Amino acid sequence: MSLLSGLVPGLGIAKGMALTLRRFFAPKATVMYPEMPADVATKFRGRLQLLYDEYGALKCETCFQCAQACPIECIDMGGVDTRGRFHVHWGAPETYGERREESAMRRSGRTVPDQAYEHFASFDLTTLDEILDGYDHDPKRMLQMLEATQAAFGYLPVAAIKRISEKTGAWYATIYGTASYYGHLRFEPPSNTAQAGEVSARRASDETYLAALGASLGGRPGGDA
Amino acid sequence: MSAILPTPKEWPSILLARAGAKDPADLDAALKAGAFEAFRRAIRELGPEATIDEIEASGLRGRGGAGHLTAEKWRTAAETAARSRYVVANGYGADPSASTDRTLLETDPYAVIEGVAIAAFAIGAETGWISVRSTATEAIRRLESAIEAATERNFIGEDALGSGRRIELEVRPVQGAYMLGEETVLLKALDGKRGQPEQRPPHPSTRGFRNAPTVVQNVQTLAAVPWILRHGAKAFNAIGSREAPGTILVDVRGPERSGVAEVPLGTPLDRILALGGEPAKGRTLKAVVVGGPTGGILPASELKTPYTFDDLRAVGAHVGSGSVIAADDRACIVDLARLLTRFSADEACGKTIPCRIGVRRVAEIGERLSTGTSRDGDFELLADLSADIVGSALCDHERLATLPMLSGLRYFRDELDAHLERGECPAGVCRPIKLGGETQSRTRPSAATGAAATGASAGAQA
Ligand SMILES: Cc1cc2nc3c(=O)[nH]c(=O)nc-3n(C[C@H](O)[C@H](O)[C@H](O)COP(=O)(O)O)c2cc1C
Ligand code: SF4
Ligand code: FES
Repeated sequence: MSLLSGLVPGLGIAKGMALTLRRFFAPKATVMYPEMPADVATKFRGRLQLLYDEYGALKCETCFQCAQACPIECIDMGGVDTRGRFHVHWGAPETYGERREESAMRRSGRTVPDQAYEHFASFDLTTLDEILDGYDHDPKRMLQMLEATQAAFGYLPVAAIKRISEKTGAWYATIYGTASYYGHLRFEPPSNTAQAGEVSARRASDETYLAALGASLGGRPGGDA
Repeated sequence: MSAILPTPKEWPSILLARAGAKDPADLDAALKAGAFEAFRRAIRELGPEATIDEIEASGLRGRGGAGHLTAEKWRTAAETAARSRYVVANGYGADPSASTDRTLLETDPYAVIEGVAIAAFAIGAETGWISVRSTATEAIRRLESAIEAATERNFIGEDALGSGRRIELEVRPVQGAYMLGEETVLLKALDGKRGQPEQRPPHPSTRGFRNAPTVVQNVQTLAAVPWILRHGAKAFNAIGSREAPGTILVDVRGPERSGVAEVPLGTPLDRILALGGEPAKGRTLKAVVVGGPTGGILPASELKTPYTFDDLRAVGAHVGSGSVIAADDRACIVDLARLLTRFSADEACGKTIPCRIGVRRVAEIGERLSTGTSRDGDFELLADLSADIVGSALCDHERLATLPMLSGLRYFRDELDAHLERGECPAGVCRPIKLGGETQSRTRPSAATGAAATGASAGAQA
């Protein structure tokens, strides 16, 4: 076969096009979910599960690619991220349906009723609303809004992120994905963060890096400045 | 602020020429030293196109690490049809072990401001940002007061220097991750998004901030621009090496001194290292880490290498953050490479597989070496995996993150072999796990070299 393809010019293309043609006429596998329910086995529960590698380390890096891509925002994220912060987010699976409705309403431009707050510690919305007003509810200035929110509350409560999502129209996962990327933002009051830091001994902040580098170079932090 | 190291008299001073000024943010003093003359020349004499030509003739290359031709970026941005364009000065200084950019911003804020203004004028941008690490409070303070003074006197602003063009500058402090130094990540941060890199091309100069052509330039690159327009491209071209003219800031951490120095590109590494002093008595220089956390670990035999973008890449290091760190004979190469790679793996953003898993696996090879748990073929795996990462990476971080381990393998094979085959650390830094008096290493040469080889405990030499 490889001999032939070398001899006949264009055979590779023809082979490729043949596959394209076959697929073109084959029945479509895409289902217009969620408008059309997919055909699944009765025991299917659609449970998402994170996998561990052969050393027992969680393969997930909490990078938030999946949660941001998920159209119905049903992906929960929890664990210690690469910056040593422990966080679990979003409610129990029972609320998936509710959240799906909520995000569908938001995308279709309708106002989302102010629900779901009882899941989280209640807190004073006026301060937050003032902050958001100050930034004109502009999702492009998300980082500044999050920094201001943290400055006001000491951390980013779940309910605050929910509120920011509602007010700016940005997806919860997108906001959370932004917030979880930046090492100086936290999701728990500062004292818990210190504890969380201990959970992951390999936290690589600048200081630990410099200290380790110094230790590796025989006690000189790369020269004792 | 880091110390500024004294350099030989014959080395020209372009970026740090104003070091020692009483108040670097004082506009009158800066004007006396020639600030905004170049911007005036660009507006009155040259015009946008000839300005770019002049930069091209000077051969200026980006100081942010990769050494791209500056004029090329500007021309691309100027020629791409767009409603708005942006200039971003990258003063983030991602590497915690280098304070070159911060030192420059503190020493001469006006040079950077003028450089941004000239770039904005040349490409037709109205907005320029200078992004600085939030913790560099002194640099931010000086930049802000310098921008305010320059705007008040109409050097920048609504009708900058009477050019009829609006050029607004703003300082944008950012913080929170190493990757923010990468240009596409920085643009995301400026837009309030999660900081993960984008595929290049399209480069930011065609599609950058909010899809508009954006010139992202290291602050040192921009600070050299006014000098070039003031003294001419020829004068700049005569400094440094032929392919990479001019000077660059290097953060030297040597046995006696540490600090930032302005060095002509093409200076051999040993002369740069000499700025940091000699090893203490009884110690010898073992290796130099060139380029920061993703830098290469070079042996003493490579110290004649000229400090340029291409020459360093050829020997397995890179300019990177401008960091040059000396390691004496107490250091263990495996430990050093493991540590650098671990930092890179932890800072990797997670967007792609080479980034999320590849770099982590490389770091694990280093960790196995240093704990005496290596497996058969780990070196082959390292070479193979690194080649795959370099081939499939999305951003330069993953590609460069392979350098510490690869350069270790290239230059310090004996030391790595001692770890892999005998579970020994010649420098006595690593503490391999011992099981029943022997290392756990699966490749322990039980038959090949006999028990004698495993006899010496690694820790015993410490
Ligand atoms: C992981 C990573 C970190 C970087 N950090 C910086 C930085 O701190 N400062 C900088 O100027 N460039 C940094 N760069 C390079 C930028 O992506 C970009 O090439 C540079 O700012 C362009 O400016 P130049 O052409 O003047 O060099 C980094 C690149 C990578 C891949
Ligand atoms: S957060 Fe990132 S690493 Fe974790 S499961 Fe989602 S996509 Fe994968
Ligand atoms: S660091 Fe994640 S793609 Fe480069």
